[in-house]
Parts: sequence; C-alpha cells; structure tokens
Amino acid sequence: MFRKKDPAMAARIPPGQHLTRGWPVLSASPIPPFDPATWRFRCSGLCNGAEWTWDEFRALPQTSITSDIHCVTAWSKLDNAWDGVLFSEVAKRAGIKPEATHALVKAPYDYDANLPIDALMDDDVLFAWNHDGEPLEQKHGGPLRLVVPKRYFWKSTKWANEIEFLDHDQRGFWEVRGYHNDAFPWEEQRYSWQE
Amino acid sequence: MATDPAAVWKLVQRADELVKYAQNRDPHTAYAQARAVLDEAEALAGQLDQKAADGLRAQIETRRSDIARFEAAV
Repeated sequence: MFRKKDPAMAARIPPGQHLTRGWPVLSASPIPPFDPATWRFRCSGLCNGAEWTWDEFRALPQTSITSDIHCVTAWSKLDNAWDGVLFSEVAKRAGIKPEATHALVKAPYDYDANLPIDALMDDDVLFAWNHDGEPLEQKHGGPLRLVVPKRYFWKSTKWANEIEFLDHDQRGFWEVRGYHNDAFPWEEQRYSWQE
Repeated sequence: MATDPAAVWKLVQRADELVKYAQNRDPHTAYAQARAVLDEAEALAGQLDQKAADGLRAQIETRRSDIARFEAAV
C-alpha cells in the first residue's frame, strides 16, 4: 500500500484503487505458448492488410513510454517503462482506411478488447515487448501486449496478435461479460450497468 | 427479503476474480472454485424476477463455457 502522506503518489491513484509494488498475474485463459518461428501479427478488416513475423515486428520503429497501470480488480502499478511500437505506426503500415472508427485487438483463446481508433492513436498507446528494460514475461502478456494507459488494463490486450479495424463499435471479451465499454479509471467505469 | 441483482452480480465478479488469478496457482482448483461460486450465483438468481434472472443466467452460462474452454487448454 502507498503511504498516505505522499500526496504526489496518492494523486496518481484513481478512486477505488490501491497501489501495488508487485505485479499480479491476471489471465482468464491459460498462457499461450510462444514460438518466434511461427508467431505472426496480422491486421484485418478496414485496412490494406498486413502480416509480420516476430523478427519483422521487432524491426518496426521502437518507442519508449513510461505509464501507470490501473487494473479493474483495484490495484494500480506506477511508472512502468515500456518499449515497443506505437499503435499508430502499426495502423499506418497496415494501411488503415478512413472509414475505420474502432478496432478489436485480439489474442489467442478468442480474447479481444475494443476501443475507438481515436483512443488507440494516442501517442501513449503502444504494442510493448519490453517492460522495465526486460523482455515482457509471458505471464504478463509477452511476447507482445497492447498498452493503453488511460483505460483499465483489460483493454491492454495480452499476447496481442491481431488488429481488426471496424466501421462500428463491437464489444470485446470482458465488455460482453458485463464490464464497461469505455473503462476510464478516473471515472471508475468498471461495469456495463454504469453505461 | 427480496434478492438484489447486485448480490448475484457480486458473486459473478467473485467467480471472475477466481478465474483471472487462476494462473497464479493450481488452475484446476481455481476453476472448480469459480464454478461453485457460479452455482451459488445461479441459485440466488432464481429468486429474482424473470427479466433480471435471465440476464444474469446468460452471464453465468457464458462464464461456465469459458471455464470449460480454458480448463481443456490447461
């Protein structure tokens, strides 16, 4: 727990959250295996289409961003250093079409999370392969996870391997299961009945 | 006293947490515990009016299918 007398840190914790110094492992599904020889990342839907191997994806322009994590199960973890490639860079290379308004970022076991394109194009949204200078551990979404700092962390798809660009909103895995479509931690948007 | 749909949803959330943290421990035990909590939620949902109960039952059934799928893959 954070020290309540540290107002700067406390001011970074959204309502209903507490600070954790560790990093709890959360995953509804089993952890999928990773083979760099067969791994692929695909873009589908309203784009020209694209597919990268692991080596090709890692060769995309790298960016480094430090951001906070806010999990809907009520813990927050501050100052996470991520290395990866911006979502906007991937979308540009995939040839995203102007009519795309939303996207589903997908993973094995039929996991996906939906967000508006505007949110995904933010300059703090990336596909991360490193965390705090080390390759992202598989239990935390390695080799590659989306990071969307302004939303609860379930929107940051672990084991990301596909973007589907859409011209409409389509709820993802947890959003269909009663969780909030927008998921802003500072507004405590946890459940769909709040919508 | 009438059953509150929120009480059922709280149990569904409890099952979600058991599933989400399943990979931290023996997943089969976690999945079994989640199923037991879903059974409890379904029994409680049976005391609600039909409209509220149907929505919650659908959520419970979705989670049972998820657990079966995940358990088969562990």
